Amino acid sequence: MKQIDEREIIGRVLGGETEAFGVLVDLYKGPVFRLAFRMTGSAQDADDLTQESFLRAYQSLRRFKVGKRFFPWLYTVSLNVIRNHLRKANTLLEEAAGQKTPRATDSRDDPAEAAMARERGMKLQGYLLKLPVPVREALVLRFYESMSFEDIARVTEDTLSSAKMKVYRGLEKTRRMMEADGFTASD
Amino acid sequence: MKEADIERIVEQLSGKGEAFPLATEDSPEEENRLKQLEAIARMMREEPAPEPPANLGDCIMSRLRTRRPSPWKVLSEALLKPHEVSFHPLNALRSPISGQECSFYFIMVGAFYAILGMILMVGLHKLGESLVTLGWVRWQPQIALATALCMVAMGLYLLNDGRLALRIARIGALIYLGFAFLNGIIVPLEWDIPVSAFVSMLSSLVGVPTGFFLFRAIQNCGKRYA
Repeated sequence: MKQIDEREIIGRVLGGETEAFGVLVDLYKGPVFRLAFRMTGSAQDADDLTQESFLRAYQSLRRFKVGKRFFPWLYTVSLNVIRNHLRKANTLLEEAAGQKTPRATDSRDDPAEAAMARERGMKLQGYLLKLPVPVREALVLRFYESMSFEDIARVTEDTLSSAKMKVYRGLEKTRRMMEADGFTASD
Repeated sequence: MKEADIERIVEQLSGKGEAFPLATEDSPEEENRLKQLEAIARMMREEPAPEPPANLGDCIMSRLRTRRPSPWKVLSEALLKPHEVSFHPLNALRSPISGQECSFYFIMVGAFYAILGMILMVGLHKLGESLVTLGWVRWQPQIALATALCMVAMGLYLLNDGRLALRIARIGALIYLGFAFLNGIIVPLEWDIPVSAFVSMLSSLVGVPTGFFLFRAIQNCGKRYA
């Protein structure tokens, strides 16, 4: 159902109806923003990169193959935008980690537990930012965005086996960093 | 660790495959390590998702509305964007056609004369000094190129699909028809070698039917205004 609607919307956008693109923006701004945030650790950068990703997607919409799923294609476009940004940015991303974290909806009733979870999330984000970009991408797509390995391989233009290896390497590196900090996953 | 084992572990961490502990790994340290990996994966999965700013969608759409594409982008879009132009020469002789179709025919004739002009220019240039004596024939490349230019200009003007454009194109087609006929007669009079026959043939055998075709196309295009 969603795919049929998307196809129709894309057709309208290609036919010159710019406003129809708003439907796709509303549908996917959240996932793209989250991806950008996990990759950069900065809400401000995530905001800019999300805007840039949608502009780029709009400009290259003609290259989108009708019949394919829009979401993985949009993710590929967004990842390219994010990679370019990370390549250009010489700032220390670790410093940004946790400083500008946007509010996340936490369903925990206990405030102490919620505060602990927030702290843990910030630490985890810090470790994530220390990982090499391709490994970080694989972890974010797999565990934060719950993507299948097939989709991860497609989005990152990788092989299935390589996508799995990156996920494993990412987890293992995170574990080592946590171990070195004396922070265990069950904390 | 083998690649196959790693892939199996990753699938386990993703909730697929066998349950812990792995049948191949007996050591408690290894089991502990895998449990830690599982815990990290779970932490990531359970991490609450950050919300995008409320006005993010509006910002994107307002940037899209005010977006000014680069000249290259505009050019490539104009060239690559599919246009609804059909090619039915017989229909052009009989039934009403659109201004776009008519424009297409003029531009095609223009392209033909542009190529012809360039071929003549190179060909006559090789004749060298004898060209000085030629008179009317030596102007054939320029005439072909000027015809190409006029045809393309009329073709582009016809894209407007207006009455004035049609009137100008009709006059242009008549002039072209008359000129092609006269050119076919003048050239062989001026130059008494086989090349003149070739130029004359091109002018009359191609030019006259083409002029007639363009004139009919314009007449049929004008029927829509009748």
